[in-house]
Amino acid sequence: MADKLEHTPFTAESIQKKGDGFLGVEKALLIKAFFGGNALVAIIVLALITFFLFREGIEFFPQYRAEMQLFRESGQEFVGLVKEEVDQFNELQGELQDVQTKVITKLYDEGKEWEEVTALTKPFQDFVREAGASIQPLSKVVKEATTIAVGAKEKVIEYNIRKGIEGMDPSEFGFDSDEQADAFLVEKRTELTAMLPAIQEANEAFRVGLTATLENVPTVELPEAQLALDAYVKKAKKFLNKVTDFEKKLESYDPNKPFTMGQTIGGFLLGADWITASSWQDFYGIWPLLSGSLLVSVVALSYAIPFGIFAAIYINQVASPKEQNFIKPYIEFISAIPSVVIGFFGIAILGTFIRNASNWAFLSWLPFFPISERLNAYTAGTLLALMAVPTIFTLAEDALNNVPKAFKEASVAMGATRWQTIWRIQVPTALSGIISAVLLGFGRVIGETMVVLLCAGNRIAVPDLSKGPGTFFEPVHTMTGIIAQEMGEVVPGSIHYRALFCVGIFLFFLSLIINYFAQLVVRKYKISAG
Amino acid sequence: MTDENNDLQSPGQMFYYKQTAAKTQEKWMFWLFRIATYIILAAATFLFGVIIFKGSQTVFQANFPFVNWEFLSSKPQTLYVFEVDGEEMKLPDSRYREFIAEHPEKTPDEVDTYSYSGGGIFPAIVGTVLLTIGSMIIALTLGILSAIYLSEYSKPGTFINLIRLSIVNLAGVPSIVFGLFGFGMFVIFFDWNVSLLGGCFTLAFMVLPVIITASEESLRSIPQGFREGSLALGATKWTAIRTNVLPYALPGILTSSVLGVARVAGETAPIMFTAAYALRDNLPWQGLENPFQFFFQGVMALPYHIYVVSSKIPQNEYTERMQYGTAFVFLIIVGAIALTSILLRIRMRKRYKW
Repeated sequence: MADKLEHTPFTAESIQKKGDGFLGVEKALLIKAFFGGNALVAIIVLALITFFLFREGIEFFPQYRAEMQLFRESGQEFVGLVKEEVDQFNELQGELQDVQTKVITKLYDEGKEWEEVTALTKPFQDFVREAGASIQPLSKVVKEATTIAVGAKEKVIEYNIRKGIEGMDPSEFGFDSDEQADAFLVEKRTELTAMLPAIQEANEAFRVGLTATLENVPTVELPEAQLALDAYVKKAKKFLNKVTDFEKKLESYDPNKPFTMGQTIGGFLLGADWITASSWQDFYGIWPLLSGSLLVSVVALSYAIPFGIFAAIYINQVASPKEQNFIKPYIEFISAIPSVVIGFFGIAILGTFIRNASNWAFLSWLPFFPISERLNAYTAGTLLALMAVPTIFTLAEDALNNVPKAFKEASVAMGATRWQTIWRIQVPTALSGIISAVLLGFGRVIGETMVVLLCAGNRIAVPDLSKGPGTFFEPVHTMTGIIAQEMGEVVPGSIHYRALFCVGIFLFFLSLIINYFAQLVVRKYKISAG
Repeated sequence: MTDENNDLQSPGQMFYYKQTAAKTQEKWMFWLFRIATYIILAAATFLFGVIIFKGSQTVFQANFPFVNWEFLSSKPQTLYVFEVDGEEMKLPDSRYREFIAEHPEKTPDEVDTYSYSGGGIFPAIVGTVLLTIGSMIIALTLGILSAIYLSEYSKPGTFINLIRLSIVNLAGVPSIVFGLFGFGMFVIFFDWNVSLLGGCFTLAFMVLPVIITASEESLRSIPQGFREGSLALGATKWTAIRTNVLPYALPGILTSSVLGVARVAGETAPIMFTAAYALRDNLPWQGLENPFQFFFQGVMALPYHIYVVSSKIPQNEYTERMQYGTAFVFLIIVGAIALTSILLRIRMRKRYKW
C-alpha cells in the first residue's frame, strides 16, 4: 500500500474526488449541465415565441397576395377606383341628408304644420335631391360593373375551394381546369375594361350635373340648414376637382400587372384600411392600428414622462427619508394594479368625466370641445400614463441613484444650489438611464392591451390630423386591441386569423427593437465615474 | 440698513441666509416636483377609493353576517326582475326557480332578465387561484434552476450574454403576444384546446424573467464565504450549493417572487384565448370523466370576468353591482399579494445583512 502511494505522482487529479458518474460522465458535470439546460429556458421561450408566431402567421403573405391578385384579376380593383368616387360622394351627400332630416324633425317638434314645413324647406330639399340625382347615372354603371366583378370573383373562389376538397368534381362548378378559370377571369376583365367609355360618359355627366347644381345654391331661411349647405358646397367643389383624378387613374389602369410580394408586404405595413368580413374585399393594413397605438402612446407619454421623472428627482434628491419610505413602495404598488381594473375605471368613471368636462363653459373656447365620444385615445392615454409612471419612475430613480456622489459634492462645494446641481450635473449624468427608462415606458404603453381595448373606443380609422389637438379625442383602435378583440371570433387557419398573428409578429419585433435601443443607450453613454 | 443686519454681518454670523434668484428658483422647482409626485399618488388613491367604495357595497352588507357570502360563493347567474304584489323582486336564476316552485300562484306575468347580473363570482375566484398556483409552480421550478446556473456555475462569455439578453428581451414582450403564442402552441399545436394547463404555461413563460432576475439577485446576495467554507471542508460544488447557499437564499427567492404572483394573477391578455371562459357552469372539479381532464378544461378567471361584464354584455342598472363587486374582490386579492411582497422585501432588506 505504502509503495503504491509513493509511486503515484502528485497531480491535481489525484486529489480530486471521484464521484460516481453516469455513463462515464462525472456527476458534477451532469448537475452543471442540468442547471445549464434550465438556464437556456429564456432563450428557448423566445425561440418558441418566434417560431409559433411565424408558424401561424407567415402564411398570411402568400394568402393575402393570392387574394389581392384575384381582386385585381377579377376586375374588382378596376371597378373599385370608380366605386370609391361614388362612395365618397355618397358620404358627402349622406351628411347633407342627415342635416335635412334633423331640420325637418326639429320643425315638426316646434309644432309647425306640414304645409309650413314644406314651404320652409322646399328649396333646401330640392337642392339635396338635385345634387343626389347627379350621381345617379354613374352609380348605375358602377353597380352593374360591381355585380360582374364580384360575381366573377365569387365563382373563382368557389371553384378554388371545391378544387381543394377531395372527391369533388370541380367541373360541376363551372370550370374544368385552372386555365379555364383564368380564361374566364380574362373574359370578365375585358368586359369590364370595355365599360370604360360608358363610365367616362357617366362621370362626365355627373361632373356637369353637379357643377350646374352647385351654381344655383338656394338661400334657405333656416340658419342650421344654410350652414350645412355652405359647408357642403365647399366640400363638393373640392370633390369636383378630384373627379378628374379618378378618371385619370382609370385610364392608366392596367389590370394585367401581377401583384408582387413587395406590394403585399407594403400593403400590410402601410395599408390604410383594416376591413374584415366585407362583402366587397377584405383589406389588412395595419397603419390605422399602428397610428392609433402611437396616438395613445403620445398622450400617455406626455403625462408619464414629466410625472415619472419629476417624481424620481423628488424622491431621489428632495424628499425626506420618511416620504421616501412611503412613496417608493406606493408607486411600486401602483405598478401592480391589474390593467383590466384600470380599464374598467376608465369605462366607468374617467370616460364619462372627460366628456362631461368637455361641456364645461370655461373650456368652450377650445375648438374641439365638447367631445362626443367618452371612450377615445385621450381617455386610454391618461390611464396608460398611470401604468407607465411606475416603470419610468423606478428606472429613472435608479439612474439618478447611480450618479457618483462626488459629482454632487463637487458641484455643491462650488456654491451651486441643489436645484442647479440636479439640473446641470445629476440629470445630464443620468440622462442615458432616463432615456432608457422612457423607452421602456413606451414599450410598456404600446404593448398594453386591456386598457386600450376597453377605453380607446375601438374605431378603425387613421387619425385625422387635420383636426389638430381634437385628433386626440377621437376613438381609435390599436394593434394590441385588435388582436384581443378579433382573435376570439376568427376561424383558425383563415386569412384573418393569420393577419392577426402578423400583427402579433409586428408587435413582438417592435418590442424587441425598443428594448434593444433602451439597452444601447445605456451601454453607449454610460459615464465612467473616474 | 438696520442694526439687526449689521449684527448678522459680524464675524460670528457669517452664514446668514440670503435669498438669491437661484434659491427662489430652487424652491419653485422643488414644489413643482413635490406636486407632481403627490398628483400620481392622488390619482392612484382616487382609483382605489372609487372601486373600494362602490365595490364594498356589493361585497359587504349592513346586516349580519356583514359579508355578502352569496356574491363570493355562487356562480354568475341571470338576474330576474319582476313584480309580485306590487313589490319589486330581484332574484338570481336558481332562487327564482325555487320561488316559482314554492309559490306557483305568484308567477309574474312579466319578467325582465339581465344576464350575468345575478349570483356571484366563485368560479372566477377559483379559476384565478388555480391559474396562479399552476403557473407559479412552473415558473418557480424553471426560474430557480435557471438562476442557480446563472449565479453559481456561469462564467462570463458569449453564452451567458445571450441568456441575459434573452431574459431582458423576454421581459419586454407585450402580454398579448404571449397570449397569441400560447394560443398557437398549446391550443392549436398541442391541441389542448382552451385549457387550464395552457393558461398556466403561458403565464409562467410571461413571468419567467421576473422570477429569474429575483432568484439570481437573492442567490448572489449570499456571501461568497458561505460557499468557500463548505468547499474548504471538501464538499462538492453541488453539496455547497445545496447546504450552504439554497437554504439561505430560498426565503429571499420566494419573497421576491411574490411580485410575480401579483403579475400573474392580474394579467388578462395571455389567458383570453388560452384558458378563460366567459361562463362555465361546472366548477373545475365537477363533472370530470378522468383526473387528467382537470388540467384540460377552461376555467373562469376574475380579470376576464371583469372584461366580459364591463364591455361585452349590454349595460344596465344591474350590471354595475357585478362590475364593481368583481373589480373590488380582484383588486383586494392582487393588492394584498403585492403589498405582502413589498412589505416582506422591506423587512428582508433590514434583516439580512451579512
